[in-house]
Amino acid sequence: MLLEVRDIAVGYGGAPAISDVSVDVGEAEIVSVIGPNGAGKSTLINAIAGLLRWQSGAIHFGGVDLSAVAPHKVCSEGIALVPEGRRLFPGMSVEDNLDIGCYRREARRLRARGFERAYTLFPVLAERRQQLAGTLSGGQQQMVAIARALMSQPRLLLLDEPSLGLAPSIVGEMFRVIQMIQQEGMAILLVEQNVGQAMEIADRAYVLEEGHIVATGKPQVLLAQSRIREAYLGL
Amino acid sequence: MPSLSLLEQSLITGVLTGGLYGLLALGLSMSWGLLRLVNLGHFAIALLGAYITWWLGTAYGVAPWLAGAIIVVAFFIYGVALHWVFMRFAVTEMASMLITFALAVIVESTLQFIWTADFRRYETPWGSESWIVGSLYVPKLNLMAFLVACLLAGGTWAWLRYTYVGRALRACAEDAPIAIAYGINHRRLSFILSGLCAAYAGVAGVFIALVATLAPSQIWSWVGVVFAVVIIGRLGNPVGALAGGILIGVCEALTMAVINPSWAALVSFSVLIALLLFKPRWV
Repeated sequence: MLLEVRDIAVGYGGAPAISDVSVDVGEAEIVSVIGPNGAGKSTLINAIAGLLRWQSGAIHFGGVDLSAVAPHKVCSEGIALVPEGRRLFPGMSVEDNLDIGCYRREARRLRARGFERAYTLFPVLAERRQQLAGTLSGGQQQMVAIARALMSQPRLLLLDEPSLGLAPSIVGEMFRVIQMIQQEGMAILLVEQNVGQAMEIADRAYVLEEGHIVATGKPQVLLAQSRIREAYLGL
Repeated sequence: MPSLSLLEQSLITGVLTGGLYGLLALGLSMSWGLLRLVNLGHFAIALLGAYITWWLGTAYGVAPWLAGAIIVVAFFIYGVALHWVFMRFAVTEMASMLITFALAVIVESTLQFIWTADFRRYETPWGSESWIVGSLYVPKLNLMAFLVACLLAGGTWAWLRYTYVGRALRACAEDAPIAIAYGINHRRLSFILSGLCAAYAGVAGVFIALVATLAPSQIWSWVGVVFAVVIIGRLGNPVGALAGGILIGVCEALTMAVINPSWAALVSFSVLIALLLFKPRWV
């Protein structure tokens, strides 16, 4: 497995937000983590990205123990985060945002290729490369957030609620792009409240509730369980 | 109504004084805007730099440029050390103001203890040299301070805008955790920036020694004006800091010439309030 999360617990001082959570992501695989608001999905993703420290358990990426990796070195291992709410650098231009994406040395060498790929994937960003990121529409900001992550030439893309706050038409496009990226060979860990779409593109899925993994398997198998179908799709 | 040549001379004096304001504002604006630390100690160490320049020059005959080089290096190290303290105790924006206020008081007392409260004047051979353009005097040292301010402001602006490190600093100011997730060593960069800000104070100090009369209490006479300059120029914007300095310098000089020298103290905050009220598009 490319990413192996084993029994991690992450807390913010008080009771742990997630505990005994284990998640695997293989090469070129899309893995979805679904669950209600507050289940700890973002906590899981932020721990993998190095934004949060975990108190117990282990995270290995490509055989490397991430507990020994400083937060600013995690992306050099090949992990890129598309955070919840996009979190662009709003006062900086689209191009500057993408340049931060390829800040790490190995990615800097591939800067030209990175820009070409970003603008091929999202042609509208090429027209707006000098515009301040904070003045873009929600959909375009999400494009910048994904493009910024791809600029770092990752092996694993962490997507935290990429469809949040977007118009339905744009959500569809976003998921198409995510599938395209996977077809290029990238591994993707996707956290979503938009369960229908997230399950449709996933190879495997986990259900996270109240800080624990309560079910795991192929999406069709999970959705065959009436409890999960009722809780997340209302069917 | 004052004569045209008096107005022209005031304009020149104002622009040149504004350069010095800009030089002082530069480090403050950068640390406030990019590190979120309000460094009142900035004024104190600038004056400390001025005293060191004067002392090395008069007691040991050290040339100002050499004194400047020593000060810049020493102050850079001081800036790094100061930031270490800020990081170690996780000092917030508000707390940084109080701590550095105390620092300024300590520096003031130290200056007073070592060199007394007497006025000091650094007499240099070029101190009174001026270029004469028509009927106008352009003092050489003030002009040099102005040019150095332009160079530093322009250089810093380009550094922030066109280099990876500069962009990384701006990114950290906007969203540090995400910047770190993209491989930016926020800690190391903020140390460098803090060192640079202190070094800028040192450069300003050298020129203060060369063009002004020194007294320990002068620390406080800069505070109001330079704060207004930093806010007018926008936090973290080096070219804005210089432009704000020139604006205030010119307004002060013209007020002195047209109305009354004692009114100059009112100018900086009046301009600031007016700009905040009317918010012209270029601010």
